[in-house]
Amino acid sequence: MFYFVARRSFFAVILLFVVSIFTFWIFSALPADPAALTCGKNCRPEVIEANRARLGYDKPFIVQYGSYMKGIFAGRTYGADESGVHCSAPSLGYSYDRHECVSSLVAKTLPVTVSIAFGAFVLWMFFGISLGTLAALRRGKWPDHFATVFSVVGISFPSFFLGLLSVLFFVIWTKILPFPHYVGISENPAKWFMALILPWCVLAVLSASTYIRLTRNGILEVMNEEFVRLGIAKGLPRKTLIVKYILRAALTPIATIAGIDFAFLLGGAIVTESVFNLPGLGKLTIAAVVNSDLPILVATTLVSAVFIVVANAFVDIMYGFLDPRVRSK
Amino acid sequence: MTEPLLSVRDLHVNFGTSEGDVQAVRGVSFDIGKGETLAIVGESGSGKSVTASAIMRLNFGADVRVSGSALLEGQDILAMSEEDVRLKRGRDIAMIFQDPLTALNPFYTVGHQIAEAYAIHHPGTSKKELRDLALDSLTKVGIPEPLKRVNQYPHEFSGGMRQRIVIAMALINRPKLLIADEPTTALDVTVQAQILELISAMQEEHGSAVLLITHDLGVVAEVTKRVLVMYAGRLVEVASVEDVFHSPTHPYTRGLLNSVKSLDSERHSHLEPIPGTPPSLIDLPSGCPFHSRCQYAASLNGQCSSEVPELKAVGNSLSACHMPTAELSSLLRSMQ
Amino acid sequence: MKRNRMIATIATAGLLFSACGGSGDGAKSGDETGGRSATADGIKDGGTLYVLTFQEGASNLDPQRVYTGAELGAYGSTYARTLTSYVPAAGKEGAGVVPDMATDLGTASDDLKTWSFTLRDGVTWEDGSAVTCGDIAYGISRTFAAEVTAGEGPMYATTYLDIAEGDSDFGSAYPGPWLATPEQQALFDAAVVCDGTTITFHLKVPVADFAYTVSLLAFGPVPKAQDTKDQYALKPFSNGPFKIESYEAGKEMVMVRNENWNSDSDPVRKPHVDKIVWQYGLDEAVIDERMLADSGDDQNAIVYGGIQPENLQTVFADDTLKDRRTDGFDGFVSYTMFNNETVNCIEVRQAIWLALDREALRTAAGGPFTGEFAKSFVAPLLATDYEAAKLVDGLNEDGTPNVEAATAALEKAKTACPDLVARATGEGLRFDHPDSASWQKNIAIWISSIKAIGVNIIDNPIEPSKYYATINGDRGDLMRSGWAADWANASTVIPELFGKGGGFNYTNNEKDPNFEAFNTKVSAAKSETDRAKQATLWKELNQSIMDNVWAIPGSATKSQNLVGSHVRLAYQWLPFGWYNLGEIGLAG
Repeated sequence: MFYFVARRSFFAVILLFVVSIFTFWIFSALPADPAALTCGKNCRPEVIEANRARLGYDKPFIVQYGSYMKGIFAGRTYGADESGVHCSAPSLGYSYDRHECVSSLVAKTLPVTVSIAFGAFVLWMFFGISLGTLAALRRGKWPDHFATVFSVVGISFPSFFLGLLSVLFFVIWTKILPFPHYVGISENPAKWFMALILPWCVLAVLSASTYIRLTRNGILEVMNEEFVRLGIAKGLPRKTLIVKYILRAALTPIATIAGIDFAFLLGGAIVTESVFNLPGLGKLTIAAVVNSDLPILVATTLVSAVFIVVANAFVDIMYGFLDPRVRSK
Repeated sequence: MTEPLLSVRDLHVNFGTSEGDVQAVRGVSFDIGKGETLAIVGESGSGKSVTASAIMRLNFGADVRVSGSALLEGQDILAMSEEDVRLKRGRDIAMIFQDPLTALNPFYTVGHQIAEAYAIHHPGTSKKELRDLALDSLTKVGIPEPLKRVNQYPHEFSGGMRQRIVIAMALINRPKLLIADEPTTALDVTVQAQILELISAMQEEHGSAVLLITHDLGVVAEVTKRVLVMYAGRLVEVASVEDVFHSPTHPYTRGLLNSVKSLDSERHSHLEPIPGTPPSLIDLPSGCPFHSRCQYAASLNGQCSSEVPELKAVGNSLSACHMPTAELSSLLRSMQ
Repeated sequence: MKRNRMIATIATAGLLFSACGGSGDGAKSGDETGGRSATADGIKDGGTLYVLTFQEGASNLDPQRVYTGAELGAYGSTYARTLTSYVPAAGKEGAGVVPDMATDLGTASDDLKTWSFTLRDGVTWEDGSAVTCGDIAYGISRTFAAEVTAGEGPMYATTYLDIAEGDSDFGSAYPGPWLATPEQQALFDAAVVCDGTTITFHLKVPVADFAYTVSLLAFGPVPKAQDTKDQYALKPFSNGPFKIESYEAGKEMVMVRNENWNSDSDPVRKPHVDKIVWQYGLDEAVIDERMLADSGDDQNAIVYGGIQPENLQTVFADDTLKDRRTDGFDGFVSYTMFNNETVNCIEVRQAIWLALDREALRTAAGGPFTGEFAKSFVAPLLATDYEAAKLVDGLNEDGTPNVEAATAALEKAKTACPDLVARATGEGLRFDHPDSASWQKNIAIWISSIKAIGVNIIDNPIEPSKYYATINGDRGDLMRSGWAADWANASTVIPELFGKGGGFNYTNNEKDPNFEAFNTKVSAAKSETDRAKQATLWKELNQSIMDNVWAIPGSATKSQNLVGSHVRLAYQWLPFGWYNLGEIGLAG
């Protein structure tokens, strides 16, 4: 098992390295000129050229990548020494549009995204799995029909539409909830909760639909497995059979999908964050796209990539713990 | 004869499907005595496995209808509450499945699964006792190094080993009846014999009755005394093993024997598969279900395609065929 | 720089002026001025005002770098005092300047090249320390630091102050306070001289309306000790009635009252609320719904960004909203420039103007709510200097093309300039424009309408952030642009866009036979101290641009807004095309 974990982690690190070079290369190959973006409308070509040199964008790609990586571990000063801005390690770049070190922007927005992702994840896993289980065990009865309707609704509604609809209904028309306005959990847990309950629900409804289907189909498949029949033939009580035989087998693959989904969500729920005005990583990214703010885009892409690579490794390792067959391979 | 251990009467099993009703078992009746070994033989789709499942009430599913009775020591399993049946499963009747590779829960150690089979029916047993029992039963079914193996997962065992584990699990509660549904089909030929020997040995030790479900007459020859032959959901012949092999009384049994000749004969020229295919269980033919494949049906002026033959005595056997008894026995004997 | 959604791809932003109640053209707009919400009816001191916006954050909080009209007004009225300020009043009155940190509107030398202002007593920073002349000089010097300010704000300091040309990125001998050697710093210190509380500016050109120039936040003070270079844009130090408590782009900015602001030292600002909360990054559809619903805190809210086009009909058809809505010009004029060196034939320029389907362009932008067909390069808001010009003969009032007149003009051109006509109808004329969604639509309309007279267009989309930098060097035959005045004088429009050395003159009109006369008149207008006479000159100059067809005027753009029902004194402050944020109060 130790060997398994070590090997998987090693590959994750290699993958991160490759992903970082690739990400950096993609952005450097884009036609958008990061130096031009540091320049206002009264810009002169000379200013662009001077800023290009100051920010090192005139250097070869590999040198730029090197300084970026160095910045992550040692910090970096952006611009001339006298008038530049220093970002301490881990420095992910400097946004001239936001006037902040990208690392501090990520540090500010990440807790928001984590809050959204975590709550939504708990809700959707709970409802997705319990409704999916119910639907499978009561196949063809009303819980199954309910779950089918629920997942069709969830899958066919675009998230911005469902988000907007929920804001209109709960906030503007019925006034059950205040307009979502993000407050840190350490500042005011009650307000934090109130701001996030709608986005959680919207994300949960959307993803739960997928998990209802996954769980339902997974369980129905497992129920046809020979070992479940043998379990019944052994005289296992229904509860033990469902938990130890059916759910254990049906949910293990779902757990790995969930891990990756969660990681994707950590990269920022762009639409939900926009509709509910939550200052998370997704909103930071989308604003950076609008403003062609390359340093932020590079960083958020890298951060998302790290989440996904780490989640992949974590999920693989976890799968090893959950499924003895994987472990020994 | 004393009261049989299991007495199945007029068993019917229907599955509702989108294409129509599948009449999988149609009026099957038989008895098994205590400690007796009985085999049900037939092609796939003949209803033999469904019959076995019905006895344990394992036919779950959306739309299954079972009628008739299955008296286990006088108690009708088909009329019991779900909870009462559950308590019989694994304790009074145990089952071995065809594919040992998928029959074990991949997430738990074999020791855990064996112990679990015991613990279900013996609540309050200590962990230590359970472990000792598991070790003991692994030893009995011939698993080497049980101390190490008890903590291993199913995927770490070969197919034959896994079937031994399934047997160990089935027998840990000393059941009165062991249903073995194609226990050797998925195994290598060399392992098949070992497993069959093991079943026989265990049966002797525990005194269990065995209901062996198989399509393989070769397997039947090794373990059982009495044979039921099923075709299209009905019993077509009931006979002793000797009679089945030496004087089959039903054309279908005869056909089966020919199709497996290769097992005990080196002369492959004798291999004669039964022409045609088994009938659809949704849209059954009228009369004898075998008539469309039977080479003698034509000589009976259409009786075979209009009347359903009942089981009747032919010599020491029972046979469901319209041919007059004397003709039938002589005809079949002449082909020997 | 960021722009208000209503103001698509505009060359510059700036201060906006109005002709409210003025005669004639454009007056039919601006008739919705906010009703009761623009008055002080029932106003009480205190409370929290909310500003809802789709913007992710401030375009820039750094005084040397703010350059959007609404934000100049909003920040100037709250945390950034300057030597002079606009009169806090609705209507035309708001276009005048009054002394703010200075005791008067300044004293000029006879040649209008030296201006002095004296600082008022008691003007303090948010930490209680006095605002000094040195702070003002230091603030202005930051404009020269290309590596930090990067030309985001107005550049009048570099074009007016008497500092030699040199090799800094902005072409000055002074590279800003951080990179300057002592010798270079001396150059600046000679141009901006502090003597006690008196600050004196030495200019290289005569400027008659320098009192307006110093009302720009770019001429405001920054305390050197508080300067965090680029990051000063996150927390500028306040010398006004509000200070910035917190600012987080994408989330919110909280402005609270500055305890160290002394109302006796400030003749301009009359704050009412305790706190102003800007909520950034809201969905525009949600903003509209919240404003229409008008409940809870949203009753105390105003919007920065305008109403969604699809809601305009609803909002302006509902009379119950009469006291909460505004509709008026935002001060911008969009236009299309000719490269008069390559399209050096007036008949061709006239033909193109006549053939252009301006109605289709406006419909593509969103219809009449988005603006009116411009009849001057000066916006209708600049009441004093605005006059509808006489446009080319045969131009349809309704904006539809006049193909007949256009064809006739092109026919004439065939004898006047056969080569150009051959090129225009052959390979075509190159049209430079920013590569934006709206311009992808616009260029299609351009191509199809000009095609009616046989002129072809070579579409040349340019990456938006590089657009102006690109056409600064390489110009096509046609280029799109847009402009708003920087203060209440066409001196920030006509000379900038069409005069010799104008900062945004991309028209290559200097070789036009009529240019010399035009430019002489521009110089005369710039140094004319009689405002009425000056206005007449601007009107004549505008007419002459129209006559020469150096550019085709597009739209005088408009914007519409809703405020919450408790909001008071939310009048349109004409210099800025938005509210006087610092003065807004709440009723109830």
